[in-house]
Amino acid sequence: MAGAPATGAGLSDADFARFVEYFYKRTGIHFAASKRYFVDKRIETCIRESPYDSFSGWFAALRVNEKSGMLQDLINQLTVNETYFLREDYQFDAMLSTVLPNVLRDRGGVSRIVGPVKILSLPCSTGEEPYSIALRLLEEWDQIDHVDVEIHGADIDSEVLAKAAHASYGERSVQRVPKPWLNKYFTPVGSGRYQVDEGIRSAVTLHRVNICDTLAMRSFRDFDVVFCRNVLIYFDELSSRRAAENLYGAMRPGGYLFLGHSESMSRISPIFTPSRLAEGIVYQRPIGAK
Amino acid sequence: MTDTEAPPRVLVVDDAATVRLYHSSLLTEAGFQVDESANGLEAVEVATAVPYDLFLVDVNMPKMNGYTCVEALRSDTVGTDAPVVMISTEDRPGDADRAYAAGANLYLVKPVGGERLIRIASMLTAGRGAPA
Repeated sequence: MAGAPATGAGLSDADFARFVEYFYKRTGIHFAASKRYFVDKRIETCIRESPYDSFSGWFAALRVNEKSGMLQDLINQLTVNETYFLREDYQFDAMLSTVLPNVLRDRGGVSRIVGPVKILSLPCSTGEEPYSIALRLLEEWDQIDHVDVEIHGADIDSEVLAKAAHASYGERSVQRVPKPWLNKYFTPVGSGRYQVDEGIRSAVTLHRVNICDTLAMRSFRDFDVVFCRNVLIYFDELSSRRAAENLYGAMRPGGYLFLGHSESMSRISPIFTPSRLAEGIVYQRPIGAK
Repeated sequence: MTDTEAPPRVLVVDDAATVRLYHSSLLTEAGFQVDESANGLEAVEVATAVPYDLFLVDVNMPKMNGYTCVEALRSDTVGTDAPVVMISTEDRPGDADRAYAAGANLYLVKPVGGERLIRIASMLTAGRGAPA
């Protein structure tokens, strides 16, 4: 498709290149030429919903009005957010059966552990994943009354974070939540929707962060368990490697990283050590490594 | 691609615009001719008029879900024998069986990586036109 004529929004190859460079600098997300069609369509939507009728007018306003939320609108348009409670639940099984016991052992045991056990869900999308973690720990982890646990959820998309904070979900999203848990931790709020109760909501701290932004990711430290599922698959080689390094920096030596079922860290970076659990592969930041 | 052989035509059916565009962009770049539908009903309507070589169909969609859509594609309404791949976030035992019972040829759990999607699409459309 090299030298393709302007498409849809009237983006020339030069326009596309300028946009890609700008977006990469601002967000760390790089769109290869193969994503051209995908990006054009999203920009078309943004231009249509803006007061501007051309790419150049819209792009100029985007750069000048960064603080006004145009860039965030675009980020929100360009991310995939599709999930439900207890998705890829076998990894939560692995967390309970093997990972958390190992974390406690490596940190000196329940009686000697200093500081909280920290769990990160990144990207957390609309909150189903971090709240699922909280539910399974509360209901099924026998150490929950003896260990201080912090659960954090983070995402680049401000709209999904607002939904995560509100924590109201449709029937499809909660269909795998066992009925007793639904009764115990959720409140029906009408139209077939359920809101997660304040107790669970307050157990999860939400943050807005770009996983590729090394500077911003430095505020994430000492995580024992990280769920980073179904995002690296959408990144190019450079961005996925940078994201992997940022996750590494966010983890405690010996910490565990879960990826999505169709993702493999070995293809991205050698910095983590894969270990095969009964429930599948988990990646570990080596204990001795800096 | 030779001049005489048109690229395979694919219909991507998903209510999530971002997912639809992700799959479309991958397939377009690989040389497939791609159309999109936002739900099952729309897909069935389009498929009565266009002889697609491959369908990628999401499961959970408004108006008409993926299973009903695939049943309609296989019924006399459309009557296509083109391969149908159902792609869903659902991964319970039985989800794939339901897809196959509806008439799908393959059931995949999201997300599906780019290389894998192209490999599968190429394999299923072999002999039905050539990607550019």
